[in-house]
Amino acid sequence: MSEPSDRSGHLARGLAIALRTLASRTAAPYPGTLPALPPRTRGVIALLEENCTVCMLCARECPDWCIYIDSHRETAPAATDGRRSRQRNVLDRFAIDFSLCMYCGICIEVCPFDALFWSPEFEYGEYDVTELTHEKDRLREWMWTVPAPAAHDPRGESAKEAAVLRVAGDPPAR
Amino acid sequence: MNAADVVAAALASALDGRAAQAYGLWCIDVPAVGWLRAVSTARDEHGLTYLDWLSGVDVGQDGFSIVAHVLDPDTMTHLLLRTQVPREKPRLASVRTIHRGAGWHERETAEMYGVSFDGHPDPLPLLLPDGFEGHPLRKDFVLAARVVKAWPGAKEPGESDASAAPRRRIRPPGVPEPGEWGREETGE
Amino acid sequence: MALVSTDASDGVLPDPVKFVLNWGDRYSLWVFNLGLACCAVEFVAASMTRDDFGRLAVTPTATGPREADVMVVSGTVTDKMAPAVQRLYEQLPGRRYVISFGACSNSGGPYWDSYSVTKGVDQLIPIDVYVPGCPPRPEALLQGILRLQAKIAAETTTETTTETARSAAPTGATPFTTPLLRPPRAGR
Repeated sequence: MSEPSDRSGHLARGLAIALRTLASRTAAPYPGTLPALPPRTRGVIALLEENCTVCMLCARECPDWCIYIDSHRETAPAATDGRRSRQRNVLDRFAIDFSLCMYCGICIEVCPFDALFWSPEFEYGEYDVTELTHEKDRLREWMWTVPAPAAHDPRGESAKEAAVLRVAGDPPAR
Repeated sequence: MNAADVVAAALASALDGRAAQAYGLWCIDVPAVGWLRAVSTARDEHGLTYLDWLSGVDVGQDGFSIVAHVLDPDTMTHLLLRTQVPREKPRLASVRTIHRGAGWHERETAEMYGVSFDGHPDPLPLLLPDGFEGHPLRKDFVLAARVVKAWPGAKEPGESDASAAPRRRIRPPGVPEPGEWGREETGE
Repeated sequence: MALVSTDASDGVLPDPVKFVLNWGDRYSLWVFNLGLACCAVEFVAASMTRDDFGRLAVTPTATGPREADVMVVSGTVTDKMAPAVQRLYEQLPGRRYVISFGACSNSGGPYWDSYSVTKGVDQLIPIDVYVPGCPPRPEALLQGILRLQAKIAAETTTETTTETARSAAPTGATPFTTPLLRPPRAGR
């Protein structure tokens, strides 16, 4: 074991660190302030119903079978004579069961219409497990918390659209 | 020829087995009657003194393959020893006397596949809870949770619970057609 | 004792004594972490200095459930572990609360279809707060604790939320008939 004199040296050093931390200005912790979360944080999934065409890809690809979709088909009559009537899928129910969800993001990746988004919100603990199934209206409310998409990395591959424009002769989009 | 090739060839000839290589790993297939001799020869005469794991594979009609991964800890030469037991009578000699560690591996293989290891002093289930019925890793073991819960992706776009389309439905990913893996009619 | 109405159904404030008792209860919680899987690491992160649940007057106890008020079930509950979870819950004394932390203990989570996983620890014991996530952030656990404290604050003398939850909760686990550990046999 160390000598008493050595121990007092350690004690002094430890106290100095503690006092330095006390005097320094550190950010207020949660729940005072929300943590600074990275851009693509996976907190909760938000649905933009207007973009959804009920292709069912997210429900099919979800490994946990936690996306429940009900819909029906509506027929809009022809706008003018001679044109055919249009059919449209209308969403009746879109629910994500967050008690099952494992936040893999496959549904968001696979959605071809950008109807699902990641949001960094994490404060939705409940008293009842059935309330962890968020219906369409609640999923829309999460949309207001979705951050703007991260800026394009200047060292990364350029977007495909930029390449198409270059081929077509226009100046590159960047 | 590296050390693994040499050992594999020597073992295969000593045990009247076939040696095949897949993804850089040798696999020696031996008959079930020679299983004990195979493992002890590998340990005593070829330096493969460390049993990494022992497990099974359900190969359908042909029964179960029991596979042991053995290696030489000094040279890190490693290979698989494999044998086959029939489905109707899945019994194999226990190699616990050769490798003590095989005790738990054989208990797990026994409860997951229903293979019994003769000579094992303590053939109790290892991982499954008391009263569990069936052998879960067999291909014909039905995963009850996926049967009971309706797959949400089975609905077609524009369909809700009220209307059940009689058309052919797509299956969830990873779920085979009935009969694809030799599933018996009676099942378990 | 009651100066104001204590009937829970009309939502009136609890009586003053109960108010003080609730205040004392919720700011002196001792927590026992039943760490079964990855969520246990997030619980540990929440106990460290960065996101510290000690600031919410929650004290971790390492001696087990017998001296704890709150049990946090963090991780996958397998069927083999179910009797142990039941037993630990029964060892929680008197006023007890349970937080289900993470998808696996909420409902089975990503392993909902497994043959050996209990689909949610609420099949065994009554739960007060469910914290979703896979795994939830440490801050999400702090939010779950805050919600638990809000629930405790709202308790009344006639009906505590926990008492009704206890009586109504289904306990599907089988009685504990075999011991958890078997003593080693002589000569092994």
